[in-house]
Amino acid sequence: MSDDHSPEYYKKKFIPLIYLVGGILIAGTIITFAADKMGIAERWGFVNATIFAMSVAVVKASAVIYIFMHLKWDIKLKTISITLGSTVIFFIGMMCLTVGSEIDSNKPGHEDNTWNHVEQSDPKTVPDDK
Amino acid sequence: METTTQSEAEHDGHNDDHGHGHAEQSFFTKYIFSTDHKVIGIQYGVGSLVFLLVGFILIMGMRWQMAKPNTPVPVLGPILEKVYAHEIALDGQGKTVPIFKDGKITASGYNQFGAMHGTIMVFLAIVPLGFAAFGNYVVPLQIGAPDMCFPRVNMASFWAFFAGCIVMTVSFFIPGGAAQAGWTSYSPLASVIPTDGQTYWLVGMMLLITSSLLGAVNFIATIIQLRAPGMTWFRMPFFVWAQFVTAFLLLLAFPPLEAAGIMQLMDRVCDTSFFLPSGVFASGTEPMNVSGGGSPLLWQHLFWFLGHPEVYVLILPAIGIVTEIVSNNTRRPIWGYRLMVGSLLVLGFLSFIVWAHHMYLTGMSSKVATFFQTTTMIISIPSVILLTCLFMSLWRGSIRFNTPSMFALAFLPMFGIGGLTGLPLGFNFTDLHLHDSYYVIAHFHYVVAPGSIFALFAGIYYWFPKMTGRRMSEYWGKVHFWGSLIFMNIIFMPMFIQGFAGMSRRMSDGGATYSMINNPDVTSGALTDQVMSLNSLITMGAFGMGLVQIVFIVNFFWSIRNGEKTNSDNPWKATTLEWQTPTPPPHGNFLEQPKTYHGPYEYSNPDVDNGKDFLAQNDPHKSMSEEQKEAEA
Amino acid sequence: MEIPYYDKERPDTGLYNGKAGIWLFLASEVMLFGALFSAYVLLRVGAEPGTWSMGLMNQWVGAFNTLILIASSATIVMAWVCLKLNDWKGFRKWKWATVIFAFTFLVVKWSYEWPAKFTHYDVTFVTDQSASKVYTDVLGPEFSETQSEIWQKRFDPLKKDQGSNPAAQVKLKDKPLDGHIVGYIDSNGAEHKVGAAWGMPFWSHAFAWRHDRKNIEKEKDKSIRYDKDGRPVYKEGHFRDTFRDRDIKAIIFAPAHGTWDRNEKQASSGAVKYAEAKHDAGHAHSDGHGHTITIAREDISRLSSYEPAHSTFFATYYTLTGLHALHVLGGILVMLYHLLPVSRRVYEKNPVQYTNRIEITGLFWHFVDLVWIFLFPILYLL
Repeated sequence: MSDDHSPEYYKKKFIPLIYLVGGILIAGTIITFAADKMGIAERWGFVNATIFAMSVAVVKASAVIYIFMHLKWDIKLKTISITLGSTVIFFIGMMCLTVGSEIDSNKPGHEDNTWNHVEQSDPKTVPDDK
Repeated sequence: METTTQSEAEHDGHNDDHGHGHAEQSFFTKYIFSTDHKVIGIQYGVGSLVFLLVGFILIMGMRWQMAKPNTPVPVLGPILEKVYAHEIALDGQGKTVPIFKDGKITASGYNQFGAMHGTIMVFLAIVPLGFAAFGNYVVPLQIGAPDMCFPRVNMASFWAFFAGCIVMTVSFFIPGGAAQAGWTSYSPLASVIPTDGQTYWLVGMMLLITSSLLGAVNFIATIIQLRAPGMTWFRMPFFVWAQFVTAFLLLLAFPPLEAAGIMQLMDRVCDTSFFLPSGVFASGTEPMNVSGGGSPLLWQHLFWFLGHPEVYVLILPAIGIVTEIVSNNTRRPIWGYRLMVGSLLVLGFLSFIVWAHHMYLTGMSSKVATFFQTTTMIISIPSVILLTCLFMSLWRGSIRFNTPSMFALAFLPMFGIGGLTGLPLGFNFTDLHLHDSYYVIAHFHYVVAPGSIFALFAGIYYWFPKMTGRRMSEYWGKVHFWGSLIFMNIIFMPMFIQGFAGMSRRMSDGGATYSMINNPDVTSGALTDQVMSLNSLITMGAFGMGLVQIVFIVNFFWSIRNGEKTNSDNPWKATTLEWQTPTPPPHGNFLEQPKTYHGPYEYSNPDVDNGKDFLAQNDPHKSMSEEQKEAEA
Repeated sequence: MEIPYYDKERPDTGLYNGKAGIWLFLASEVMLFGALFSAYVLLRVGAEPGTWSMGLMNQWVGAFNTLILIASSATIVMAWVCLKLNDWKGFRKWKWATVIFAFTFLVVKWSYEWPAKFTHYDVTFVTDQSASKVYTDVLGPEFSETQSEIWQKRFDPLKKDQGSNPAAQVKLKDKPLDGHIVGYIDSNGAEHKVGAAWGMPFWSHAFAWRHDRKNIEKEKDKSIRYDKDGRPVYKEGHFRDTFRDRDIKAIIFAPAHGTWDRNEKQASSGAVKYAEAKHDAGHAHSDGHGHTITIAREDISRLSSYEPAHSTFFATYYTLTGLHALHVLGGILVMLYHLLPVSRRVYEKNPVQYTNRIEITGLFWHFVDLVWIFLFPILYLL
């Protein structure tokens, strides 16, 4: 944080902000934990539960980055948002590619249809090479 | 973290104790545990040149084995039989057999040499030489900084590198010998291989990665924070730009390999199954005794996520050096400086999304393969822009043919061959045929051997006068150059032919098992006599290459003491800031804080009437008014 | 020589050197943990049903650790603000609070959470018959009911969406029985207690005891073959287990969950007594702890404590939390350094520089906290 803030600013504004963010973090933890104990995975389905838990975690993480790591005062909000957003998008893209290449690949027990672009002709009608 | 804060404590110490003169520094703090970026740069340089030689000796052993399988290696063989590691005993009495029995290279010895040749050349020789050595010595000087941003982190970086080198070297002499799963250390082989060499390799890699990370943080922070007044982003020499992008590649691409290394170490030490699928067989008839459920592809993804940016880590500093030398020796500004910087940034970004073109044969779906094929083709565009700009810079220049400039000029076509032969490997349909053949070896060696290494030689010849105040011998430099150029091509050009003929990598007999002589019944597909005879030619080329390097080594050491003295601080008549200080630069680099008034390549500017054909970056031009100068600074 | 901007901000970048450095360092850390998170996703998506053995986590401990780490993150900002206000005493107070929180985190993890897992074992069986022998004959149908609830919980819910209940996709022999190992019986029929090795009762199970070669009795067990190097060749069909090198005919096992509702229970497999109700077995529906059964070695296909080698889930869990814990440890060391008298002198000489150091430490510490904010849901809850 740049030094142009007065001591008054820290006492009046910043310290309450710390308590607020601390509260958000604790509340987020309790919400996630309680939701899990109430069994949201069964009720909402696993994917929705994951989205919920990850959203809470992202909110908590943003609060930490924004206030505790005081990026709010260090660089512009727009820059942070774009950086964080593009990081998330990049990460998701990478995961789609890696996991995608894993899922699509030929696994035992799964039929590999990678090369089946053309309809296969009936093997009986194919003339024997020899 | 710790070191970051401590480095600041160290600055205090400097202010108190060494504020005036440095005579009180002991030998230890001045030359061994030095925090001066120039000393660290030279330490890196010497260390990496030693390992360049070690890596080369390993490949000479391998080439002997390929040309004359199972015959004793001359000179090296008897020595290695005495000192080299022994196989792990399997006879129950603890009797061990040397890996170099009767001076011959066994298959496991060949594998060790192969794996360690790749590891040493990439991680212990070229990266430290191009990035760490030249970067450390030149970057702070070129941007007008007194030192690196965190001098003590810099020292820690070097000693982490040193420790990594020690671990890698020691691994040759432990029972069972060094790592033998290839420099890529593909799992499951690398996870289950019984000798400890692989564990040493992983520990060594951790140390080297730590070193690179500390170095990368330091470089980026230095370039962001310590540029001299007036040194705006587009007044930075292209070499600094190249180092900047390289540092970002190291910073962001190395940690995934560190994570992969941690996981492989867990596989080896704690018996986990990160990379071991269920029911994997190591040997015999029983499946491995592990939980299974891991994915060998995970290792490949993580490794090549590092591996591809790593290629650019090897080549970008080289391009930076070549740019400096080309501009200086053609006495012309670089053609398209901003275009080159833009290409560099695009290259840096794209290098993160092309990695799976190393993995077309893993059974990935055609959609994913198409994506990576497309990005691979796109990334060739900025590479070609860089190369084209350098060629354009030669146009109508009055080229000085001294040793550094000849190495730099040879870099251009050699790197061109390396780059263009990469295109068939980037298309998945041609890669299916060429994958893991000698074609691949020829391709990437054209990029890094006559490419990167030529540029690094050029850099050594170019900055040697700055480091020592003496030039290296021009005559022997040219002998070194012509010899290297000829032998490099004798070595690598035939490999394209072998690769097309279907010769695979990593065969300890040079393909003899699959040759026509040994398979008279096979009608097609066996390696013909012509292809096999190229092995001897390549080996002779490799030994010729070794002879030529002796010229370089002798020239290097002889010139430190006896080279022709340079009469000025700026023997090449260069514009950049490193030539505007005393030779060698003192602790703190500049006698007074330099100010920058111009871009980096003000050569042969007709508007400049200072009686020279160049305008140094810190030279306030006479015809400028004082206000202009202030505004420029 | 003085490095410029080591304590003051450079006007055009708005950063002092240390801050630029730490943010770059954190960027590389993001990539490090990002790669491990990616590995987690990839391994979990690719896992076969029944092999992602989560649901064994102690969620309350995890939540407790999350809360204290969050608290430490808040206290370290308070410490920095106190320095900004030139309040040295306040700074020390909050800094010590941070150190204590961080230390508590590590103590909970390394002295309770991990050791509790190292002493817990999973047994899977060679065939469905040998499994049902234990589940139905020895432990009784009621136990099986309790156990099936546990199986429901511990198999990855991610796989549920792809078909039926994941537990139903797993064969009975691969459904693990979890509990504690109390002892083992050797080929002479003598009972041995599983105790501490090298004076480490908890940790010993996973590592020390496992690799303690002094206890190996090569000659007595002819079922174990040795190669020429003296390394054991594992028995045909026997997967790697904690007792792989030892002369063991049967293990004495206390199931962790479930009830014991028979007064007398015995079953046998060859010469080995299969299960034996101990003297306090009469209490119906009591906790399974303390009641032991005996399982012959030839019925066991795999025996593993909840150590890294147990499954890819535990491998990921220990790698991620272990690496995180190392970061916590590093942070503690740096913070302790900042509380030493030598740091007081730095503060008196150059308060701005010292405050910057605290800020940098704080940035690192918040990052460690951030990693845990993501680790907690993915490892303990989801």
